[in-house]
Amino acid sequence: MEKLGRILMVEDDPKDVELSMTALEDYNLVNEVVVASDGEEALDYLFCRGRFQDRSSDNPAVILLDLKLPKVDGLEVLKEIKSDAKLKMIPVVVLTSSKEEKDMVTSYKLGVNAYVVKPVDFHEFVNAIKELGVFWALINQPPPGSVRK
Amino acid sequence: MRGDRPWHHFCPGLAPKKPAKRLYLAAKMLSNANAGHEITATNWQSWLSRSPFLRFIFAGTCVAIALGLALLSEHYNFHNVEVPLFLFAVALTAWYAGSGPAALGVALSIVLFDFFFVPPIYSLTVTVGEIPYFIVFISFACLVAWFSAVRRRVERELLQARDHLQMEVAERTQQASLLGLTHDSIFVRDMDFFITYWNKGAQELYGWSAQEALGQHSQELLRTEYPTALEEIRTELVRAGRWEGELRRRTAGGTEVVVASRWSLRRDEQGRPTAILETSNDVTDRKRREQEIETLNRALAAGSKELETTNKELEAFAYSVSHDLRAPLRHMAGYAELLQKRVSSLMDEKSHRYMAMILESAKRMGNLIDDLLAFSRIGRAETQKTQVNLEQLVKEAVSEVKQEASGRDIVWRIGALPVCYGDRSMLRLVFINLLSNAVKFTRPRPRAEIEIGCAEGSRGVVEVFVKDNGAGFDMKYAGKLFGVFQRLHQTESFEGTGIGLATVQRIIHRHGGNVRAEAVVDHGATFYFSIPGA
Repeated sequence: MEKLGRILMVEDDPKDVELSMTALEDYNLVNEVVVASDGEEALDYLFCRGRFQDRSSDNPAVILLDLKLPKVDGLEVLKEIKSDAKLKMIPVVVLTSSKEEKDMVTSYKLGVNAYVVKPVDFHEFVNAIKELGVFWALINQPPPGSVRK
Repeated sequence: MRGDRPWHHFCPGLAPKKPAKRLYLAAKMLSNANAGHEITATNWQSWLSRSPFLRFIFAGTCVAIALGLALLSEHYNFHNVEVPLFLFAVALTAWYAGSGPAALGVALSIVLFDFFFVPPIYSLTVTVGEIPYFIVFISFACLVAWFSAVRRRVERELLQARDHLQMEVAERTQQASLLGLTHDSIFVRDMDFFITYWNKGAQELYGWSAQEALGQHSQELLRTEYPTALEEIRTELVRAGRWEGELRRRTAGGTEVVVASRWSLRRDEQGRPTAILETSNDVTDRKRREQEIETLNRALAAGSKELETTNKELEAFAYSVSHDLRAPLRHMAGYAELLQKRVSSLMDEKSHRYMAMILESAKRMGNLIDDLLAFSRIGRAETQKTQVNLEQLVKEAVSEVKQEASGRDIVWRIGALPVCYGDRSMLRLVFINLLSNAVKFTRPRPRAEIEIGCAEGSRGVVEVFVKDNGAGFDMKYAGKLFGVFQRLHQTESFEGTGIGLATVQRIIHRHGGNVRAEAVVDHGATFYFSIPGA
């Protein structure tokens, strides 16, 4: 657990971002979180385009992806990631409000690594985020080429 | 009239279309008189023709009579009548008995003439000077005989031709009357579209009688609307000899009829088109029904498209509810929690309770949304129907519900249940909901009794009941029982979102069944549902 993986959080709702950050604070994971507020920005980050063209070309250790996003929605982002040779190894966790079975099935078909429905209850929510952060950023061995501190 | 007009048959072309009654009767009488005469002559001739021997006797008799008459006239001093008399006998023989007997008649006449009338009388000697006289007589007799024979043959042939014609006409008449019998409309028109034949079917279909229609221009009479240009139809008709299609026409009464029409072209010996025979039947009703079906189909297609759109909208709505309504709830709960954490030490008991209420309400709202979404999903999901063993299904549901009711004293009675036909997972949800309700509403009882069984249903239908000894309800509100978010008890006594029975009803309705409930306040409730049997 000496190295922390970088987390790319794709989330358009600043309140959700804030609450998630609160949860991650406890494990000092916050500094390694990059937030993209819509699908386009997420893709810009991953493909080092636009305002991210100067970033180091390492991949994040995990992507926490909301499905309902402005511009390019989560499923499209997932599709782009999983069809790109360099990006498809990055673990992607869908983190969504939706319990829609259709979304879940589509996500798994596109190759998502985990599908988590955000609980309404705050404690459950915090626990879910914490566990996700800890597992993917600390416990899990990310694929080669990921950022580690 | 058709059967008794033999006089027409000799000259059908001259037969007047509508003979005046009197003229017709006169002609008939005449023809009858002729017929009587003919019958006598014909019998005599056929009697003669039957036996060659009789014919020769006839020849002899004729000559003998001629001889008798000649001798008699000689006796009364009428001279030189013997030759015409013998010639008359020969002619008569040739006429009625044929050429053989006529030859005999000629021979006999010469011999008898020579014997009785040529000097020396009563001798057969012939002087050289008389030979030319005999030759002339023989030639003349032969000529008469030959004329008679030819005349006779021609007449016989004529009679035969007449008989043949008569038969043919009779046959044709019969065929024509058969055509008249058919219900299909048949009419014939010449190449200029003037009607020349019109049967009973045509009269029934279009309303004009044959008398009214014959000689009329068919286009002007029927006001036909063709599916394509008339020229194209004509070309096709001349090329293939036939044409088929649907035509719109007007009847005598002015109503429009649609007919399925078949045309056949008639040609003369040189192959020139002469007439068109048209058979048609009325398809107006069929056509109207087809149109009605088409209209209904279009309406149905539009309806199902609308339904599809509505369904899609509903799905989009549910999706948006699922996402967008849950997020603010999560935020409310989250920030309330964070606030509580920060100011916990400063809050008094009341503030703590308020905070707890906020969190509880958020949670309840979350549950409501989840239930509502589940309910809407049941309406949209495809049912996958199979044979379902209800007894096994109930046992599974009971064991699941029992987990929620640990520590309670509940007597479960499960009766015999049949196999039914339905969607297993949906029916499971029905039992879970009904049994959970039974467990929930028997909570005040020290000993709960829950019975599941099968009531007698009508043929092919299974009626299942779930009975409890719980709180029951007032039958006054039975109508509200299965509505979405309808609750007959206060949340403080019995928790719940009020969606369970609505879900039950929706599932049973999707199986083509019915739900109902009977209850008495504080004396338990019984819920019945019916579904198709296996």
